Order: sequence, then C-alpha cells, then structure tokens
Amino acid sequence: MSDKPVVTINNITKTYMMGKVEVKALQGISLTVNRGEFLSIMGPSGCGKSTMMHIIGCLDRPTTGHVLLDDVDIDELDDNSLAEIRNKKVGFVFQTFNLLPKLNAVENVELPLIYAGLKTEERRSRALELLAMVDLKERAFHRPAEMSGGQSQRVAIARALANNPSIIMADEPTGNLDSRSGAEIIHLFSELNKKGITLIMVTHDQDIANSSKRIVRLKDGLVVADEKVR
Amino acid sequence: MINLAEPLKLASQSLLSNKLRTILTTMGVVIGVAAVITLVSMGEGAKSYVLNQISGWGVGANSITLQPGDGAGTSIPELTLTYGDMIAIREKVKKIQYLMPEIIGRGRLKYGAKEYTPGYTLGVSQDYPLAYKQKAAEGRFFSLAEDSGRKRVAVIGKTVARNLFGNFSPIGEKIKINGVGFIVIGILEEKGAMLTYDMDDMVLIPSSLAELTMGTKNIWEMMITTNDEKDVPEVMDEITKLLLARHRRIDFHMHTQAGLIDITNNILNALTGIVSAIAAISLLVGGIGIMNIMLVAVTERTREIGIRKAIGAKRRDIFLQFVMESILITLSGAVLGITIGTLASWGIMSALKLEAVIAYNAAAIACLVALLVGLFFGVYPAVRASKLDPVDALRFEV
Repeated sequence: MSDKPVVTINNITKTYMMGKVEVKALQGISLTVNRGEFLSIMGPSGCGKSTMMHIIGCLDRPTTGHVLLDDVDIDELDDNSLAEIRNKKVGFVFQTFNLLPKLNAVENVELPLIYAGLKTEERRSRALELLAMVDLKERAFHRPAEMSGGQSQRVAIARALANNPSIIMADEPTGNLDSRSGAEIIHLFSELNKKGITLIMVTHDQDIANSSKRIVRLKDGLVVADEKVR
Repeated sequence: MINLAEPLKLASQSLLSNKLRTILTTMGVVIGVAAVITLVSMGEGAKSYVLNQISGWGVGANSITLQPGDGAGTSIPELTLTYGDMIAIREKVKKIQYLMPEIIGRGRLKYGAKEYTPGYTLGVSQDYPLAYKQKAAEGRFFSLAEDSGRKRVAVIGKTVARNLFGNFSPIGEKIKINGVGFIVIGILEEKGAMLTYDMDDMVLIPSSLAELTMGTKNIWEMMITTNDEKDVPEVMDEITKLLLARHRRIDFHMHTQAGLIDITNNILNALTGIVSAIAAISLLVGGIGIMNIMLVAVTERTREIGIRKAIGAKRRDIFLQFVMESILITLSGAVLGITIGTLASWGIMSALKLEAVIAYNAAAIACLVALLVGLFFGVYPAVRASKLDPVDALRFEV
C-alpha cells in the first residue's frame, strides 16, 4: 500500500446557521487518507459525518482549516474549479442513489463524462465498459425505476468511477438496501479497493464498517477514535 | 469555447418529457407572435390597397396639384385661381406634359322633356382622359382646339347617360345644360364608386365654357404633370413666379403626389405600429408565463441540479441547460406563431378580397423579439438554478 496521502485535512471546523441557531458541525478535525485506503467514518447521527464527507468531496467548504486533495488546497479554488475537482477527482455514491430518473443506466453513467467534455462515442463506450465492470451490462438501457435498489447503486458506483477519480466518497451506500444487496455493494467496494481505488465510506453499521480497513469514529464534531480493522 | 449542443439536447429532452406543460407555456408566445404577424400583414395589405387607390386617381411622381388658398387653413379657401391663370400657365410654363383644371359647378341637364341633375358638372381640359386614366367608352373626348374654340360639346358619364337616354346611344344628341345648348360627343368608361362618390354621375364640358354655363371661371384644383419627374421643382418654381406676377400675393399652393403618398404611408405605418404594439403586449405576458414555469421547473428539479453539480456540472452548465429551455420554448412559439399569423392574415385578407402582404420583416423581428423574451425571462430562473448550493440541493425533498 502506498503511503502517499490523497486527502489531508488539517484542523477543520464547520459552523452553519440553522435559522437563528449556530450549529458547530465540525469542531477541529484532522485526518490523512493515503492512496489505496478503505476508510469507514462512523458515529451517531448529528456527529458531523456527512458534513465531513461533503467537505472532503469538495461539495462544501470548511469554515476554518485546510483540505488538501491530491496536494491541491481546495480553499484557494473558486466554484468552477471545485466543480472540476468533483468531476475529475471525486466519485460520489449516495444512500438514495441519486440517479436521474428520466435517464437510463448508461445515460446516467455518461453524465460525468459529458461534463468532462468527452465526445459522444467515447462516452458511450466508456459508460458501457463501466457498467460491465459492475456486472450490469445487460441493464444498460433500463431506467432506474426498472431496476432493483442493488442494481441502481451499482449504476451509481459505475457513474462515480467514470472519470477515474482519486477517491470514492460513499455516504451510507447500503442504507437503502436489503442486507444481501448491501453485502454485494460492500463486496464490490472491496474488489475496487483491491484494484487500488481509495474509498471513504460513511456508515453507522458496525458489520459494514468491519469490512473496510480503517475506522474513524466521530462524536460531536470531533474524532474520538481512529483504528485499523485488520 | 462553450459547447451548446449538450445543453440544447438536455433542454429539448426535458421539454419533451413534459409535453402538455411545454405546449401551454408556448401558447403565450404563439398567440403574441401570431397576433403581431396578422396585424402587420393586414396593415401592409391595407396600405398597398390604399396606395393603389391613390395611384388609381392617375397620380404619379411627376404630378403637381395646384390649389387656391395658401394651403395653411383647413376651411375651403376663396377660389382665386381662374381660367385665365390656366391659359397663362399653358402658354408660359415649359416642360409640362398636361394641364387639367377642374371648374366645378352644378348643371341642370335637359334632353327633350327629360331633366336630370348629375352630381357634378365639370369644366375640364382635353387632358382629362390622361389625368384620370379614363377614356371615352363610346364616341370621343373633346380636343384642345374645341376647348380653346369654345365648342359646345359635352362628354357624359354612364349614370348620366342611363338617366337621360335610357338604353339608346346619346352620341350626337343635343342637350341643354342650364339652358345652354351642347352636343354629346362621348360617354366615359365606367369607373364605379370611389370612396362613396359615383364617378360616373357627371358631365364634362370644355373649361372655356364653364363661365358661360355655370357662371364661374374659378378653378378648384389644377392637375399638372411634367414631362419628367426631375422637372417637378423647376415647373413648380415657374408656376409660382407666374402666378405671383399675376396675383401679387400668395393665394395658391401646390403639393406633389409623392408628398401625398408619403403622408398616407406615414399614417398607415403609424396605425399598424400602434396596433402591433398592443398585440406585442401579449408577447410580454407570454414571457412572464415562461418565467413562471421556469421558476417552478427549477424548484422541482432542485435535486437534479444538486446531483448534476455533485458529479461536476459547473454553474455555466446548469445555467445553459435552463436558459436553453426558455429559448427553445419562445423560438418554437415564434415559428408556430408566424405560421398561424401568416395563414390567418391570408384568410382574412382573401375574405375581404384584398391582397395579403406577407410581412417577412415582421416575421424576422418576431423571431428576434421571441429570442430576447426567452433570454430575458429565462435568465433569472437559470441564474437561480446555477447558484443553488449543491449540499442544500441534494438534501432537497420535493
């Protein structure tokens, strides 16, 4: 395993306003994730897991502190550059899949490739390749409504992998799935990790967290534990 | 370089997936554009009709109308131009093609025991057929020699002929006009009614006999044409000098037919413009409808926007996707509106037996305006969409 860091976060805080109440979601978190890691973030709801995910994934900015993604300090980037990083370096997998319902599987996988500026034919062949990788080639022209939860999540994973990202961010990826489909997804993640893909996964399920290699526990916006699984 | 093909594809996909809404939103633009096109086409048709009518009076760019009075007042002026003035102009002013005075009076016609008083009895020159593009249908018109020689000859209109002679030919018959004996030498071709005035209900006599017959030698109007258009200013100048020398004051005025056509054109253009502007208000209303729907669409698709942003869509990508939808709606509305408007104006004009004039300019302008309306009312919703925070947008539940 390489020990070159993909993500370095340094003492980040995040404060936002909920109506008139100030919420301190993150209160000073530092963490380094190396290339090839498979990391789980655990903690009770409201501990700041999702906020941390969003910040590492460049969807949001920290109130204070620094985030380095592939040695780039994202504080210094404007919205357009952040969008480009999300497109090229980060792949998101959500609890609710977040596929576009009017597009079929292959079109959903093509979306990040469109924003990356690939030509139509390149997009299609790359998207089909990715669907084959998650074992869904025969469902390529089905819409999300015609697929099971597990299949939808595999389409979402194919979409996350589209632009060969440095890191996959998965937010409760098995939360909306039955245990068998959930296990399939975790198995797929392990396979991807074996191929060298870095994964960060938010979960509150200890069994699922145990299938990753490292668990970071948050509580009240702070890291309370950081342990290796095996 | 900005790639417009993708946003265009996205916009058309989303419009097609919501067909009824798209059609209803488009209607505002369709109705607005169709109304403008119809009214402008009808205005153009009316204009060409009126201008044709004016040319039907025998006018061209080489004609001058000379009238008594200084031309400033609106009341009927003192009739200061006389038969003598006409003779002077004919003798002294060069480059004149024809000279046609109108000495208007009333004449009681008598043929045997039958009597009839036509609408007008006019003292005119031999140039009448040229000036009014109206020849003698039967017999002939009188000549310059007959006018100058005070020959008592008359040319009558169809209505007069019918009333006085019934079905048999009046050529060569003797009639009396206000007690003065005349010989009928011709019947004018039928011209029909023009602006409610029966052009066939009149008698024409040599201008030299107007005073004897009707007790007046005063000219209402003199139509003059020059040999060439470019001689018009010179001829007007000479006439002014001549009449000034004779009258010692400005008690006459002239206008050209080019001027009359200009004025008519301006009035009709202004009317068409005003009516079209009123119709264009519906375009504005259509635009507001589009903005309304686009704002709803942005809210409905907040989550979609969040997903697109999470996987790398930039503000510009989201902006273009939404603004393209508004532009597509207005442009397709404009095309449909132009088609409907053209068909409608064609239908209305042929029902009115008028020539339809297809307003290509108006069609081009309608497309441009529709594009601007789409942009104007589409930009705000699109900006709103593009500025959505991805985290908030992803959390959004419809």
